[in-house]
Amino acid sequence: VLSSSSLSAHSANLDLVVRHVLAGLGHGIHAGRERGAGVEFSEYRAYAPGDEWRRVDWKLLARADRYYVREAERDSHVAVWLVLDATASMAEPSRTVAGLTKLLYARALLACVAAIAQRQGDAFGLVVCRGERADFLPAARGPRHLQRVLARLDGVDADGVLPAAGTLRASLHFSRAPGVVCVAGDFLDWPSPLADALLRLRRMRHDVRALCLHTQAEADAAFDTAPAYRDPEQGAALHRFDRDAYARRRAAHFDTVARDCRRHDVPLLQARIEQPPGDVLRAWLRTPATGARAR
Amino acid sequence: MNPTSLWWWALPVVLLPILWHRQKRAQTKTVPLATARFLPAARPQQRRVWRWHDVILLLLRCLLLVTLIALLADLVLPWRGDAVLVVPGTAPSVVERDAAGFAGAHRIDLPDRDAVVWLHAHEREFAPQARLLVVGDAVMPAVLPRFRHAVVLRTATTPTAPIERHVAVFSTRDAAWRRLFAAAAGPWHVVVDAAPGPRTELIVWDRPEAPPMNLRAPLWWATDAAAWPGLTQAPSVDGLHWMDTPRGRVWHADGWPPQEPDGARALFAAWQRQHVGMQPYTAPAQVLAPDAGAPAGPASGALRTWLGMALVVLFALERMVTHVRRR
Repeated sequence: VLSSSSLSAHSANLDLVVRHVLAGLGHGIHAGRERGAGVEFSEYRAYAPGDEWRRVDWKLLARADRYYVREAERDSHVAVWLVLDATASMAEPSRTVAGLTKLLYARALLACVAAIAQRQGDAFGLVVCRGERADFLPAARGPRHLQRVLARLDGVDADGVLPAAGTLRASLHFSRAPGVVCVAGDFLDWPSPLADALLRLRRMRHDVRALCLHTQAEADAAFDTAPAYRDPEQGAALHRFDRDAYARRRAAHFDTVARDCRRHDVPLLQARIEQPPGDVLRAWLRTPATGARAR
Repeated sequence: MNPTSLWWWALPVVLLPILWHRQKRAQTKTVPLATARFLPAARPQQRRVWRWHDVILLLLRCLLLVTLIALLADLVLPWRGDAVLVVPGTAPSVVERDAAGFAGAHRIDLPDRDAVVWLHAHEREFAPQARLLVVGDAVMPAVLPRFRHAVVLRTATTPTAPIERHVAVFSTRDAAWRRLFAAAAGPWHVVVDAAPGPRTELIVWDRPEAPPMNLRAPLWWATDAAAWPGLTQAPSVDGLHWMDTPRGRVWHADGWPPQEPDGARALFAAWQRQHVGMQPYTAPAQVLAPDAGAPAGPASGALRTWLGMALVVLFALERMVTHVRRR
């Protein structure tokens, strides 16, 4: 049986990964006001590919021989913002699962969140931080928007460094409306403009949920000592592997991250990309105990 | 030592392409690691490796330089072993007898009698331990020759047939002149022709009138100076006047034909010395010990053509390989 991690590593089809991960998951993460599509009938709309079949009005099909979809009044007020850190360090591969990287894992989880939001009828948008830019996809509802988000996530590759504070501030203008902000990244840059933006969003009473990804090798501090290492985001400086120093500094860094998140009441989930994505997703979206750790 | 051999000192130039093609440093293998910032910094480690890139091009360039230096240094390969140098005109039986201790030695037929000059020019072609034997009527050099090889001279005078010298006599005292030429025994056999021909080397003009203009010979003996304007004023050596004319060189002395043997001998000696050339002596048979300090022979240029062709081919190949590498 293909494990979920391997599947997300090897499947080019994010949709398939999302279905697989969400198979054992409930339908919602919060109680929306919406009671299903079509409760407050609004209008008919011509069917478009991507619409759910159960929303097609079959009686109207029998009468008009055309597919129509019942549009309902939606009154969900929650917008879900997916923030993906796609800097060069996110290309860090798993040393045990071939082909799996932090970026692939983060992409799959964010796609799952988008699918859940779409099922609930929430609006969802995407912000991809890479190459000193923040690519912004406005929040919208519906299956077609889900396809757009999945396509955008599919095309992302890890490159460059985080955008500057000014760029981020310009991109996060959605902060007026209340929403859920799901951030997936490695949080190796802390403090950083992205961290400042998240903490600011939290102060503005957004529900900010951070997912910090590690690899099993990083958690175990188990790397080969023979080669010299270089940071993909910090030029040509060389480093040699020293297990004790590595474990000490890494623990200190992520303790700082966790402490800052706890102080600002931002739930931070630390996960390894070798873990099953379903479990991590459930832990991430559960009503949080602040500073939860999955590692 | 041959001065062109100094070019061999340029051989270290070959080290230049070897150094240019050496991969001097190879950087340590680096692996990207996202969490490398938690690791202590390391100095860039560079290892020295003795490895070369573009080995074919390197070989071509080294060969090119070596060939060029060999060409300039006039490379001579010592490819000859023991040898028997046979002077032309030596009877095979004599060669067989004299070359007794040189079984298996290579026979070389010399182009002329001067074995010492030939050996001097070709001595570098012989291997250092080669033994050399000269057989036949070799010419004796003016000074004792020095060679780097042991050279054995088993020389002997070869009796040869007397050389014919054709003479035309225009004289009323024909019998006296014939008696004179008949006395020239030994290495010469003087033939008195009735009329001058192409082989005539001497014309005796013993007449008062001038000779016809179409009559030509390398040497004239004139008895009557009146027939030759200006002959009496011509320079003289030992009473012998000589003058160059369009017909040939003219000699004149009073009292010709010589009546006494000494005068005849002196006349023939002068003829031999001035017109025929000195007959060399035969070198005495002896053993020349090898002399390490003997001067090397002159530049032979034996391999010059081959080295030049090799140079052109190597240069073309080097250019081609360089071009392919750049693409």
